[in-house]
Amino acid sequence: MTAFLIRRLLAMVPVLALVLVIVFSLVRLIPGDPAVTLLGPGATQQQISALRLQLDLDKSLPLQFVSYLGGLAQGDLGQSLKSGLPVARELLSRLPATLELAFVALIGAILVGIPLGVVSATRPNSALDHALRVGSLVGVSVPAFLLALILQLVFSVWLGWLPVSGRASPFATGAGATGFALLDSLLAGNPRAFLDGLAHVILPATVLAAFLAATLGRFVRNALMETLGEDFIRTARAKGLTRAEVVYGHGLRNALLPAITVVGLKFAEMLGGAVLTETIFAWPGIGRYMFEAIRNRDYPVIQGTTLLFALIFVASSIVVDILHALLDPRIRRKVAS
Amino acid sequence: MKDAVAFLRANPLALAGLVLLLALAIGSALVPWLSPYTPTRLDILHKLAPPGPTHWLGTDAFGRDVATRVLYGGQVTLAIGLGVVALAFLVGVPLGTLAGYAGGWVDAVIMRVVDAMLSFPGLVLATALAAAFGPSLQNAMLAVAITLAPQFARVARGQAVAIASRPYVEAAVTLGLTRGRILTRYVLANGVGPLLVQSTLSLGSAILQTASLGFLGLGAQPPAPEWGADVSLNLDYVRSAPWVALAPGGAILLAVLAINLVGDGLADWLDPRRRAERD
Repeated sequence: MTAFLIRRLLAMVPVLALVLVIVFSLVRLIPGDPAVTLLGPGATQQQISALRLQLDLDKSLPLQFVSYLGGLAQGDLGQSLKSGLPVARELLSRLPATLELAFVALIGAILVGIPLGVVSATRPNSALDHALRVGSLVGVSVPAFLLALILQLVFSVWLGWLPVSGRASPFATGAGATGFALLDSLLAGNPRAFLDGLAHVILPATVLAAFLAATLGRFVRNALMETLGEDFIRTARAKGLTRAEVVYGHGLRNALLPAITVVGLKFAEMLGGAVLTETIFAWPGIGRYMFEAIRNRDYPVIQGTTLLFALIFVASSIVVDILHALLDPRIRRKVAS
Repeated sequence: MKDAVAFLRANPLALAGLVLLLALAIGSALVPWLSPYTPTRLDILHKLAPPGPTHWLGTDAFGRDVATRVLYGGQVTLAIGLGVVALAFLVGVPLGTLAGYAGGWVDAVIMRVVDAMLSFPGLVLATALAAAFGPSLQNAMLAVAITLAPQFARVARGQAVAIASRPYVEAAVTLGLTRGRILTRYVLANGVGPLLVQSTLSLGSAILQTASLGFLGLGAQPPAPEWGADVSLNLDYVRSAPWVALAPGGAILLAVLAINLVGDGLADWLDPRRRAERD
């Protein structure tokens, strides 16, 4: 297992290096002089030189990259052009909100996606199967901002069941020790704050989860149908196992392994949707921070959030591989040899 | 042609998608003759009118006919989708084919760059690139094409690796054909099926992502009738006049759904295992 881990992490090194090059290049892609473009028309020569200095634009490209790496090594992602605050600290303070939203969405997607896939796979070509297939295609085709609008209209404006936006009601106690509002309210023994947080997270989490649940449902359906056609399933049936024992004990167990990969990779992809979802629901996470930075042309912040999203993506792909290796000894042996 | 009929007969959902897509394309193409309105003509006296016989989908805050804007937006959107996919294809496929056929360090370098680009959530990379290039429809399309190209490279590479070891390619090498000729005549030509599926599926993502950039203010600029931008510009009126934002948003859903229905059926149809069962 250790050999597997080391190999897996080493393979990430060139990819991570290139990710850094891409993120570093972003500011340099701004047409013309980035300092002039970012400050806009009315800027004085003094302001422009100051910004050039702050963004390291006065040095040669290789030197700029070295100083970028040097800053990164010390956890320095530069300062926001808008607020002047360190980007790394701003990101860290917003990360729990995004992760909380993403985890709730992940759990929801798994709870909805896998059962739908199983139902579809065990009744292939039935009316229900067709309905679920079309439904899952709608799930991957709907723009996040449209789904968000519809949910807000129906559940907040018309029915009045759930709050339109935000992470907590004005007078509810906000995040505490961990920064995860739901967890904090439970730790503090405050069920009211917990329910308030839950009411706020449902709609944005549903929007984020829709894509993942649909993808997962489609995947589980195909994987399970394939598994149910295998020889060992026939053997299990011949042994006289019940239908449920065959489907869940043998079929689903084998079909879920590839599903883990899909969940892991799509989870990170889903996080990208946080930029839209958090913006619409005024959710105070890194997605909305990125949106505000775009509005203000706050490039150090855009770079920082882009890097953070990529790191989460890479980390989740490593976690997926480790889970895979833990669950399937064949993979472990193949990579280690 | 016979194949296409057989495909549509066996896939009623793909047929439905194709019909929907054609209806949208024809409606968008004929809108100058179908509608008495133009997409940008202001009519403040009739602003935010609800859907009715004179304005089928109502009017927006400037009194512009929403149905007309949605159909003109269809022209923009279909052009965006095709343009982005063509660009991603033209960048990704040659690089992927080269990587798969050449192998060695060429393969290693190209594929590590592909891996690195695929390490960003698609929308995040497209957003960051579009923000750097500056807000405009062309820049948004370029940004989305750059994020989609690595997927084409991956598919093309897989095809090239599989095809390069086939006997007819070895025969071509023995016959002394040039590398370029082998690449285009044999490797690329035989890898078309999966690339077709990839193109169809990418068409949906291209439209969704460009619309999302439009929604974030990084795509088409007003008063261009682009669907994503139209949703975000009308957010303020959602409570009193939901149709102004829901109509363009619904149009995105219908267009992408239609494309995905076709792509899904195509992926199924071209799947080698299903093919073997059928023949």
